[in-house]
Amino acid sequence: EVVVQFNADVADGMPWKFIPTQREVRVKPGESALAFYTAENRSSTPITGVSTYNVTPMKAAVYFNKIQCFCFEEQRLLPGEQIDMPVFFYIDPEFETDPRMDGINNLILSYTFFKVNED
Amino acid sequence: MSAGGAFGGNRGARPVPPEKGVFPLDHMHQCDLEKKDYIGCLKSSGHQSENCRIFSKKYLECRMAKNLMAKQDLSELGFRNERDLENLREENNGRIENGS
Repeated sequence: EVVVQFNADVADGMPWKFIPTQREVRVKPGESALAFYTAENRSSTPITGVSTYNVTPMKAAVYFNKIQCFCFEEQRLLPGEQIDMPVFFYIDPEFETDPRMDGINNLILSYTFFKVNED
Repeated sequence: MSAGGAFGGNRGARPVPPEKGVFPLDHMHQCDLEKKDYIGCLKSSGHQSENCRIFSKKYLECRMAKNLMAKQDLSELGFRNERDLENLREENNGRIENGS
């Protein structure tokens, strides 16, 4: 079993509240799982943002597979709008047999939102 | 966060696009209930994904029904195991009852 924990950040000047909806999900490699982030535009103008992510520890990142997510595309929130942002993922089953992964029971998925545009 | 490599940066760990693409955002909150059920399940069952598969399945089904996700067979999205597990349990129960 692997514990996947979630981090959320916004870049400077990005007036969104952005947090993980759950602190962690416990999964078995090969099993698909759903997780959510929540974002809220706290400013008085529509804001378009885009996110980047990373997975740590870095050597385990190669085994983290996203089936579907909110990432890689610009997302526009109206003033005051709050939205759920799902990530549907799985950890590659080969994670279990890779000796380099011995002792790794925790992965951290981190997203950061950047402001692209302000209407 | 240390990034490794002589020049720093995420060397070798380039962001990879999702396999089945991007989830459009649920701006109309059409699947809020399904999401809440799933999160509620996680929080009350030790955050075990396995225990809450039925709710994540319902969430994805909701998305498909509202055109927030391409319709596809859920067994292709990793929900096959549940069915196989159930079949396995039924088989085992049958064997036990037959005294074999």
